[in-house]
Amino acid sequence: MAAPEEGQFLKQANSQSTRGLLRVIILCLIAGAAISSRLFSVIRFESIIHEFDPWFNFRATKYLVQNGFYSFWDWFDDRTWHPLGRVTGGTLYPGLMVTSGAIYHFLRFLSLPVDIRNICVLLAPGFSGLTAFATYLLTNEMASSPSAGLLAAAFMGITPGYISRSVAGSYDNEAIAIFLLVFTFYLWIKAVKLGSIFWGALTALFYGYMVSAWGGYVFITNLLPLHAFVLICMGRYSPRLYVSYTSWFALGTLASMQIPFVGFLPIRSSEHMSALGVFGLIQLVGGVDFIRAQLPSKQFQTLLRTLILVIFVVAFGGLVLLTVSGVIAPWSGRFYSLWDTGYAKIHIPIIASVSEHQPTAWPAFFFDLSMMIWLFPAGVYMCFRTLSDEQVFVVIYAVLASYFAGVMVRLMLTLTPIVCVASAIAFSQILDTYLNLKSPKVDVKENASSEPAKVVAAAVLPDGLRSTRNPLVGIYSYASKLTVVGSASIYLMLFVLHCTWVTSNAYSSPSVVLASRLPDGSQHIIDDYREAYYWLRQNTADNAKIMSWWDYGYQIGGMADRPTLVDNNTWNNTHIATVGKAMSSREEVSYPIMRQHEVDYVLVVFGGLLGYSGDDINKFLWMVRIAEGIWPDEVKERSFFTPRGEYRIDDEATPTMRNSLMYKMSYYNYNSLFPAGQAQDRVRNSRLPAEGPQLSTIEEAFTSENWIIRIYKVKDLDNFGRDHQSAVSFDKGHKKKRATKRKGPRVLRVE
Amino acid sequence: MRWSFSLLFTALLGAVSAKSFTGGRLLVVLENAAEQEKYSVFLGDLTGRGFHVTVESPKSSSLSLFKHGERAYDHVVLLPAKSKGLGPALTANNILDFMKKEGNVLLALSSEQATPTALQSLLLELDIHIPSDKSALVVDHFNYDSTSAEEKHDVLLLPFPKALKSDVKNYFSGEGVIAVPRAVGQTLGNQSPLIAPILRAPSTAYSYSPKDEADIVEDPFAVGGQLNLVSAVQALNSARLTVVGSSEILQTAWFSEKATLNGKAVTTANRAFAEKLTSWTFKEAGVLKVGKLVHYLDEGASKASNTSSAIPENNPGIYRVKNDVAFTVEISEYSNSHLIPFVPPKGDSVQLEFSMLSPFHRINLTPLSQTANATVFGTTFKTPDQHGIFNFHIKYNRPFLTNIEEKKQVTVRHFAHDEWPRSWQISGAWVWIGGIWVTVAGWLAFVALWLYSSPAEKTAKKTQ
Repeated sequence: MAAPEEGQFLKQANSQSTRGLLRVIILCLIAGAAISSRLFSVIRFESIIHEFDPWFNFRATKYLVQNGFYSFWDWFDDRTWHPLGRVTGGTLYPGLMVTSGAIYHFLRFLSLPVDIRNICVLLAPGFSGLTAFATYLLTNEMASSPSAGLLAAAFMGITPGYISRSVAGSYDNEAIAIFLLVFTFYLWIKAVKLGSIFWGALTALFYGYMVSAWGGYVFITNLLPLHAFVLICMGRYSPRLYVSYTSWFALGTLASMQIPFVGFLPIRSSEHMSALGVFGLIQLVGGVDFIRAQLPSKQFQTLLRTLILVIFVVAFGGLVLLTVSGVIAPWSGRFYSLWDTGYAKIHIPIIASVSEHQPTAWPAFFFDLSMMIWLFPAGVYMCFRTLSDEQVFVVIYAVLASYFAGVMVRLMLTLTPIVCVASAIAFSQILDTYLNLKSPKVDVKENASSEPAKVVAAAVLPDGLRSTRNPLVGIYSYASKLTVVGSASIYLMLFVLHCTWVTSNAYSSPSVVLASRLPDGSQHIIDDYREAYYWLRQNTADNAKIMSWWDYGYQIGGMADRPTLVDNNTWNNTHIATVGKAMSSREEVSYPIMRQHEVDYVLVVFGGLLGYSGDDINKFLWMVRIAEGIWPDEVKERSFFTPRGEYRIDDEATPTMRNSLMYKMSYYNYNSLFPAGQAQDRVRNSRLPAEGPQLSTIEEAFTSENWIIRIYKVKDLDNFGRDHQSAVSFDKGHKKKRATKRKGPRVLRVE
Repeated sequence: MRWSFSLLFTALLGAVSAKSFTGGRLLVVLENAAEQEKYSVFLGDLTGRGFHVTVESPKSSSLSLFKHGERAYDHVVLLPAKSKGLGPALTANNILDFMKKEGNVLLALSSEQATPTALQSLLLELDIHIPSDKSALVVDHFNYDSTSAEEKHDVLLLPFPKALKSDVKNYFSGEGVIAVPRAVGQTLGNQSPLIAPILRAPSTAYSYSPKDEADIVEDPFAVGGQLNLVSAVQALNSARLTVVGSSEILQTAWFSEKATLNGKAVTTANRAFAEKLTSWTFKEAGVLKVGKLVHYLDEGASKASNTSSAIPENNPGIYRVKNDVAFTVEISEYSNSHLIPFVPPKGDSVQLEFSMLSPFHRINLTPLSQTANATVFGTTFKTPDQHGIFNFHIKYNRPFLTNIEEKKQVTVRHFAHDEWPRSWQISGAWVWIGGIWVTVAGWLAFVALWLYSSPAEKTAKKTQ
């Protein structure tokens, strides 16, 4: 700012363009760092799609690339949710697939034939570079210091909270959604600042893109109205706000309604009502503002009072009426679980069963945000100091996102951008203060206790706070500057180390392939999932239906290319409960269910041999709970616990547990691996009963190398009309005993 | 292609071997060669019908129902043996395995020789029960042959069986009387739909053991119609097993013997009955075959180009909800070395189910036309207003007819985005469309008015 007096116009321009160039180079380097730190998994393993949901997105993208946009739009997927099928084209957020499809076709247009898989794998790192840039833009709108933007971009580029969902291969909606989220906010701030329809329309455009990409768009839908509402309440209504809000709302709502999955939700569901309400409110405020300009103030007061009362009564009554009559959908269960963390566990086990819907553990904040967790409040405080419109936005965003991040693990993702912005503001403040060698040493010292200093201080600082009443003084010695700057850079260095360590150790595992260390320290890859899925792919009929717990549905669809009964798109609770019932019931109960659903193979994940704790027996209680929700008389969670309330699988396991299909499938033949009576489950650390379970309606078809995946074939009906139990016992050589004495009355054959 | 090939194949088979639908290799298990003489006419008849008959003793070491994992014979006749065991080749498991590979079995019992344990447990598995007393036999004091069983009343003379139900085809009808000497009666379990009686005892018959119950029968094994003299099992894969209560039915001695029934002299027609029994058991009769199965879209452009000879797209994998769909299937019945059109018995019809979890349609198929070898059954219907993965499902399981179960999976998709009627075609939408255009026109008019009057406005403002 303080340019040298003798600085020529030319010189200044020169230094500005140098700064601009430097900034571009720094941003490019940040993008490079962001991308390359996400490539651990590709380097360690291979270019592979990770986890669960990305497999569906990948499959959908392949479908889009092969069949074109319109058939993707109208896609009826007959290979999931057998036999219901899924109207996939209308029940997904197509933004991600369309984006990678567009990139694919663009590259082909440039004669660069790239495999669609590689585009999908590298999309998330690529967009993380863009996110860093968007964060730079957003922060620049917030802070006067240009270094804040660069710092925020760097933070955003490498913070584990964002990397957790955007490593290479993590091809999920969040991969592009976070970029869109940040960029939409940037455009919104720009629009509010300038009060221009153009920027408002741009906000709506990117909001529309965001809606097409991620269900988390509701966060924007509520945050922008809240921002506008708070500004109005603070008496900061201005035509700029009116123009930007109305143009965003009208265009953005229209844009969001173009996505089939969203459809009429923006005008019917409660989650969107705040946007609509603020839209109405801003019209009223605008109208009242106009009237005030025309009327004397006394008449205006009475008019205002009656208006407020009438409008409140009418609006509230209308809302209640519409909700009761069902025009406006009541709050969804996922929404309730945002306010009451115990709600889902009681009422909607299917939501609670997802690990990323659990409340966040405290260490996770430090793990994901590291030093930013304590810089963040400082940054928010900085925003309070100069409370302009955009700073209000930061404060609101910070408060809301902190709350939501505490409620649900996955919402840490929405918190991360604002944490980066706020802590960059705080950090740049420190650096700007202490990196300035030419401190106004003399001035401040001189005026330390004199009257004019107070005036100056009052001009700079708000005098509402006690600490600012006395003019503050700084530490201007080089030693203290060096200490602060030095410790700050050490913190930055530690932050980079922490981020790299977390990324490399916690977030770069594809979870399809498991890595472990051998005693000699070399890496050992456990590849049971792919082994089993490729077995299915190569050894079963093309439309053999696979029943498994829904966690594996997307992977079976993507890797094994076989129809599944349920998958990670948990749209039909009853269907999932049916599978849960089949898994948790006796064979005689399960078999008719499996027959009815034309199940050919059943797949279970079993970690007992390897000590892999994410297996089906550990998830089993969720199956039981979800099934119990639909059939409370037939499946009871209580009967899976011992009288002392323990969940056991050993000798003391309850008969219900030991007769359940899941238990039988997990431990079938497991005894044969061990000396008699010494079978050991390494996950639950318990010894299994001496006699293993017997199966009659299904037979073992495949067990992977480390027994993680076990596949069973469902037997056909018995050729001679017997039930399977007796057929199996006959095959084993137990001949039926002829009833020597007849019990009860003679059974006559009627025909 | 496959169809014509299988036709050719069956035709070839018919030319070189038996008339049976599944092949002519017949194994007769007989304990000693001397017994063979008693069945000479029966075996001669079978040879005459083209069966390649092999006679083996159960004790023979070379006897095996399987060769290289496939069945070595197409049919087996098990005649009574004196020894209690039937040897390692003919355990109950082996015979069930043989039937799992679609082999047919004719099992003859005798009250003079104890039924081997293997066969006892086999029958028990199939839910057919025979008296525990090994010498138990069926007597009837009204329908006996007074020539040969004046005293004992244990040779029953019965007419040929009638159809089981009015809507079931009868493959065992004939003229004359059947002599059933010293039969082991069977009762059938009530659960299994796979077993059916062929020849029932008359209402006056009962089973007793001449050794233990010579004086008084307190609790007979079974009486009257519950007692079966010949019964049949048809497994789900259509393998057939017939239990003949008396092996003497098949013996030459009773094939056309003079007998007296209630004072009237009659001649037994056992030879004809034995032929009926073997031709059914060995799949010369009562065999159904599904030929061409076609379903196609029957509306719009595709309906216009559908003719009887050319249907544009057969068996598509996907339909839309509320599509008109036509379904045809050819069903033939095997009769006397060739396929003829199958005509269901009166009161019965082949049904088509269009089902997802449960049937959305269950329609009687009507015979549309007949070709030389098959009846073409068909129907048309509208797919339900429910998308999902459906099955065209024909399940026709009737007693004495081989089971038909055909499933063809199709997908029924939802309306695509461009298949809905356009907004102006819906009269209810006119109000809203009108509203849109009124708003557009009104806004344009307002803008025009505003622009027209703007200079005056400007000056007015300035003066204020």
